[in-house]
Amino acid sequence: MANRWDAIVVGGGHNGLVAAAYLARAGKRVVVLERRERVGGAAVSEEAFPGFRFSVFSYVVSLLRPEIIRDLDLPRHGLHILPLESTLTPLPNGDYLAQWNDHDRNRRELARHSLRDAEAYDEFGRTLHQMGRAMKPLLGLVPPDPASWRPRDLAGLARLGRHFRALGPAQFHALHKLATMSAADYLDEWFEGEALKGTKAASGIIGTLHGPRSPGTAYVLLHHYMGELDGVFRAWGFAKGGNGSVSEAIAGAARAFGAEVRTGAAVAQVLVANGRATGVTLESGEEIRAEVVLSNADPRRTFLDLVGERHLPAEFVEALGRFRFRGASAKVNLALDELPNFACMPGRGPHLRGAISISPSVDYLERAFDEAKYGEFSRRPYLDIVIPSMIDPDMAPPGKHVMSIFVQYAPYHLAGGWTDARREALGDAVVDTLAEYAPNVRRAILHRQVVTPADIERLVGISEGNIFHGELTLQQLFFLRPVPAWARYRTPIEGLYQCGSGTHPGGGVMGAPGRLAALEILRR
Amino acid sequence: MSAATVVIGAGADELVAAHLVARAGHRVVVLAQGIAPRPTVGWIPPALARALELDRHGLRVATDDPWAVAPLAGGGRLELWQSAERSAASIARVSPRDAARWPAFCDRMARLARFLESVYQAPPPDPTGTGAGAITELARLAWRARRLGRASLTDLLRVLPMPVADLLDDWFENDALKGLLAASAVAGLRHGPRAAGTAFALLDRQVGNRPGVFRPPRSNAAQVLGTLPGIELAGDARAVRIAVRAGRVAAVVLADGTEIAAEHVLSGLDPRRTLLELVEPGWLDPDTIRAVRSIRARGVVAEIEVNAADPGLAMPLVVAPSLDYLERAADAAKYGAVSPEPLLVVRPVAAARLAVELQYAPYSLAGGRWDERRRDGLAHTAIDLLRRSLPAGAGAFEVGAVRTPLDLETERGWPEAQAAHAELALDQVLWMRPTPALARYRTPIHGLYLCGPALHPGPAAPGAAGAHAARALLGATALRPR
Repeated sequence: MANRWDAIVVGGGHNGLVAAAYLARAGKRVVVLERRERVGGAAVSEEAFPGFRFSVFSYVVSLLRPEIIRDLDLPRHGLHILPLESTLTPLPNGDYLAQWNDHDRNRRELARHSLRDAEAYDEFGRTLHQMGRAMKPLLGLVPPDPASWRPRDLAGLARLGRHFRALGPAQFHALHKLATMSAADYLDEWFEGEALKGTKAASGIIGTLHGPRSPGTAYVLLHHYMGELDGVFRAWGFAKGGNGSVSEAIAGAARAFGAEVRTGAAVAQVLVANGRATGVTLESGEEIRAEVVLSNADPRRTFLDLVGERHLPAEFVEALGRFRFRGASAKVNLALDELPNFACMPGRGPHLRGAISISPSVDYLERAFDEAKYGEFSRRPYLDIVIPSMIDPDMAPPGKHVMSIFVQYAPYHLAGGWTDARREALGDAVVDTLAEYAPNVRRAILHRQVVTPADIERLVGISEGNIFHGELTLQQLFFLRPVPAWARYRTPIEGLYQCGSGTHPGGGVMGAPGRLAALEILRR
Repeated sequence: MSAATVVIGAGADELVAAHLVARAGHRVVVLAQGIAPRPTVGWIPPALARALELDRHGLRVATDDPWAVAPLAGGGRLELWQSAERSAASIARVSPRDAARWPAFCDRMARLARFLESVYQAPPPDPTGTGAGAITELARLAWRARRLGRASLTDLLRVLPMPVADLLDDWFENDALKGLLAASAVAGLRHGPRAAGTAFALLDRQVGNRPGVFRPPRSNAAQVLGTLPGIELAGDARAVRIAVRAGRVAAVVLADGTEIAAEHVLSGLDPRRTLLELVEPGWLDPDTIRAVRSIRARGVVAEIEVNAADPGLAMPLVVAPSLDYLERAADAAKYGAVSPEPLLVVRPVAAARLAVELQYAPYSLAGGRWDERRRDGLAHTAIDLLRRSLPAGAGAFEVGAVRTPLDLETERGWPEAQAAHAELALDQVLWMRPTPALARYRTPIHGLYLCGPALHPGPAAPGAAGAHAARALLGATALRPR
């Protein structure tokens, strides 16, 4: 009997939805099975407290691939991105560093701290922009297998070689440095101002359990520079309605192409017969069969929980065991009675429409990391704060506000484990840190939601709560992600594919893994 | 007198270069800079030893056996030997599981090290080079990498950028074993074992060694090279300036004012010293100056001599009981302080005399400079830790000479006390070492060449950079690996 479905997508995160949309667009019969009651995975908006809506986990958009926005016509399905226009770094001495979109204003502000930095800044921006451009083609590329002799892989390797050689010596060497240096060392070559270096270095540590002095973090800095909105590099934004509306828009596109999206449908097991995936079983006991199964779950969950070791080659299981997650980030969402009043920049200014970064120096970040590597959360963590209600008033009741705080470091492997008390202690540390710069915050808090890596694992299902489905470190990128020889979305189980952030090119609300996985299936 | 090739420095690199240039018919003057000869640390590539007939002239290579000994918390000790089987037997006493994994680990790492050895015997490839030579070199490198086979090629790509802590956690469970191996990886580096790229440093220390040995051999290579005829070796002569005329080296000026007319100059001093201090100012463009200033060379080791009538313990002793211990030791250095609980490597230098390397003692201190009080503090920290790490009653210690990082810079010419002249890091290897523009041993000044550990292949293979530099100078082809 013919299967009703050509493809099952396990998990309705943004990547699963992208994959489903691309497959449906090509005429395939696709069903997405999402365990929770709403799609989106870690890109969801929820009314955590009456009247207050939050992007509970991921909270900004920038890496979403433009070709996906175009191919799936996402604006027609409700995607509307509002730009984030500034970054304010309050400093312990009462001063601040503000970075504005306005070039001249930005330069004046930088010069106030360091003339040298103001001079170097444009050149720095140009270099990072160039490097982003040099790396961008890789985001749309299925990684070739470096040890294979198949013509397709050899051609892919040759193409890569040509691409990098064509950069010319200056750009190639700059890229080599960026790929291998620590964010701290890299920034030391450019700048002297601690606040500037701290704030820039912060984008190098996001999502990984590494400090800014660990080599490899400069690359992650680039990863965050590759963001592209409307063709403008280094532009970050909010999705109107929160990040859930990104997922909703993609789900809308998928449905419009004919895909079925089922929520409340938890997959218990991927069915394997004779080394082939034949379908899935739901927790309800229902069996659904299809020609191919795509998993949006992270690699550990996909293979060890849903497939099972006994179906997999031993060396694959061993390599999978070496794929590291080590979630390092937490989220604190606040419902506020009034806006925070920053001592360094009082009142309701345009700075509240941008990001606020608690990253006064590289040492501050490094010390925050020191605690985490021995299994404690940072008592004075790095915070990346946005106030979505300033840009999208629908997120909170009139006159009230929502604040989204990304927190690092909060290690998944906390000494003694995460408990309710430890979760609240983390929340307190975050509020205490913020209150040093905006003292009114403490009394303005109406509700507080703290999401630890353990909560991310429990709620969204990502192993160890790693926001990227596995660390974005050099040894886990490109043809090594997630497992060497299995970086091309295929798996040792025929007919089973991966389409989540645990595959190339990794995390961020980017959609690239979902798209590449779908295209790989359509090649068959 | 005719213009000579002047070689600055008398380490293995400089002397190898001197002899190769002299054999091509040039007059060569070597200025030893008044630095006392020291044992050569590292692997002398066999092709090089053969070319210069070092064996016939008395080359002696010494390897420690055991190469590392760790005192165990509960008494007894863990020993790693030149023989992988013997090491496994010792490891079995702390962890049968780790002992079972040891042979495979040694084998996998050795394969990668053999690959590095082949890469180290040629000048760095030029990935963006467009000439036929550059493309041939690249093709050869790609071919060698592919020939490793899937498992080793994957290992190479994966292991190089890893933190050594992650690599060791992948393989082993015992803290003492992981500490001992990680201590080898971070030796001389400012990073702790959780920093990415330290796994590469471990592989670098496997170069030229038997599988399972991660400590560079020592030899009398520099001493032997110094006695070979064919060059003029001036022991006390110290170059203070390189005179440049019309973009070409013209002469080397010595501390006593003597000027030696030079057709070529080959410097084994660190690039910062050579280009920013010795070369007359005004000849380098700002980009080169900026790149040279950005070379990272952060020394973190101090040396303490200890007299102990009967230390009563096996050597070389390594105090690094766990990965966390090393990481905490490195934490202090990040903020410019000496580790309260440092990494110690102790080896005998003479009867009843031990040399203790203490890490991390950063060259750049947050709260001031190296002074007598801090020097005493180093000795105190080392002795105190030694006593605590050894069985009660072992040896009575008496402190001899203490060399702070500042002393090491002055006495040995190590920039910021960094023995490798440029830190071993993934952004300072191959075509990036010490900077992309200087990686081929040439400089923007015509006739001025660089060698020494700051150049590819770095400190693991002393003499190799000298050979590559000499060939760059002579315009000949690379030293081909076997």
